[in-house]
Amino acid sequence: MSNNAYSVYGLRVHAEIACPELPFHPQPDGNPDVTIRLLPTLPSTSESDESGCYEVRPGVFRLVVKGVGRYLVEEGSRISIEPLAGSSTDEVRLFLLGSVIGALLYQRGLFPLHGSAVETTWGAMIFVGAQGIGKSTLAAQFYRRGYRLLSDDVCAVTTTDGKLQVLPAQAHFRLCADAYERLAPAQAARFNVDKFVVPMDEGYCPDAVPLKAIHVLADQEDGDPQFEVIRGFDRVQRLFENLYRPQYLKGQETQSDLMRLAGRIVQRTPMVTVSRKRDTEKIDGMIDFLESAWAEHFGSNPREENK
Amino acid sequence: MHHFNPEDKLVRAQEVLSTELDQETVLMSIDAGAYYGLGNTARCIWEKLATPITFSALVDELAQEYEVPHEACAADLQGFLAEMEREGLLRVE
Repeated sequence: MSNNAYSVYGLRVHAEIACPELPFHPQPDGNPDVTIRLLPTLPSTSESDESGCYEVRPGVFRLVVKGVGRYLVEEGSRISIEPLAGSSTDEVRLFLLGSVIGALLYQRGLFPLHGSAVETTWGAMIFVGAQGIGKSTLAAQFYRRGYRLLSDDVCAVTTTDGKLQVLPAQAHFRLCADAYERLAPAQAARFNVDKFVVPMDEGYCPDAVPLKAIHVLADQEDGDPQFEVIRGFDRVQRLFENLYRPQYLKGQETQSDLMRLAGRIVQRTPMVTVSRKRDTEKIDGMIDFLESAWAEHFGSNPREENK
Repeated sequence: MHHFNPEDKLVRAQEVLSTELDQETVLMSIDAGAYYGLGNTARCIWEKLATPITFSALVDELAQEYEVPHEACAADLQGFLAEMEREGLLRVE
C-alpha cells in the first residue's frame, strides 16, 4: 500500500489512507513521527464492541466506533485502523482526524484544546467555546480577511525552549451549513450532515506560532460585543472545560506533563471571554472588534504601524 | 476516614502545583489530573503546610488566628485534612 506523507501538528505522518484534509509534507522522504496503517483485523482485545467505547492506558488508546472502525494508538507514534464492514473512507477519516488524532496528541504530551487558532501579528489567537458557538465560522472569516489559520477544531499547545506555542494542524475547516453558504468556494466537499470541509492552501500557516491569548466565545442576547479578561480560578476552569476529549486525559503516561503545561498556560496566557450576538451578516464587524480589542490590550498592531 | 493524631507531621504533597492567579490560589494535582480552587481559610492552611507541621501545632495556630474554640477547630480540620489527603494533596510523615 502506498504511503502519503503529511505534516500535522509539526509531525511527519505517513498514512496508508489518503487524507485530503491534511497538508502534504514538504519533504516526503524521511523517518515518520507517526504511521497510520490499515489492518484487516486489530490484535484482539477484551473490550466490548459498543459504539464510542474507548480505553486509555499508558501508551495505549483504543476506540471502537460501531459500523465504522476500530482504532488503536500506541506510544504517540503508531495508529492502526481496522475499518468495519459497510464503512466509508469518509467515515473512517472523520474519527481518525477527530478523536484518534486527539488521543495521539495526549500521548505525545501536547495540550489539545477544542477550538480554532489564527496567526496574527501579536501571535497565535485561540478561539474555544461550546459546540456550535461559531469557532469555525469566525476562523473562516479571519481567513477571508487575509489571516492565516493554524488549526480548526483541535489546537495543540506545546512548549519550545520554555515558550508556549500553537502547532499548525489541518489545512481545512469545518463549517455549519449557514456559514458555508456565505463563504464556500465551489470545491467544498460535503463531509457529514451539517459540517463542510473547505480545503485550504495559502490561507494556512505551516509554522508553529507563539501563543498570545485564548478566547472563550459566548452568546449574548443583544448589545455590543464584550471582551472581558478572565481572572483567577476561572482561568483554570475555562481551560479544562475546553480541553479536547477531556476524558482521554486520565490514565495517560503524559498526564503529569500535561498538568504542568496547563499550569504554565493559565499563568502566562491572557484569557478572555468574547460575548456577542451571533449574526453571520455582521461577522466581519467581529473581526474589526477583535482587532481593536487586541490593540487595546496587547499594544497596537505592528502591521498597521508600518503602513 | 483517616484520623490525624496530634503528633502527625503534615506537609504538602510533592506532586501538586500551586499557582497564584490574581490573588487566588489554585492547586493542580499532577497525579490525579484534577484542579482545586482554595478559599481564604484553605489558602491559609495550605500556606502553613509549606513546611512540615504537626497536627496539634496547626490547630493551635488556626484557632488563634481565626479566634475559634480549639475543639471545633480540630474537628473541622480533621475533616478538611482527610479530604486533602484523599485527593493526594497532603502527605503525612
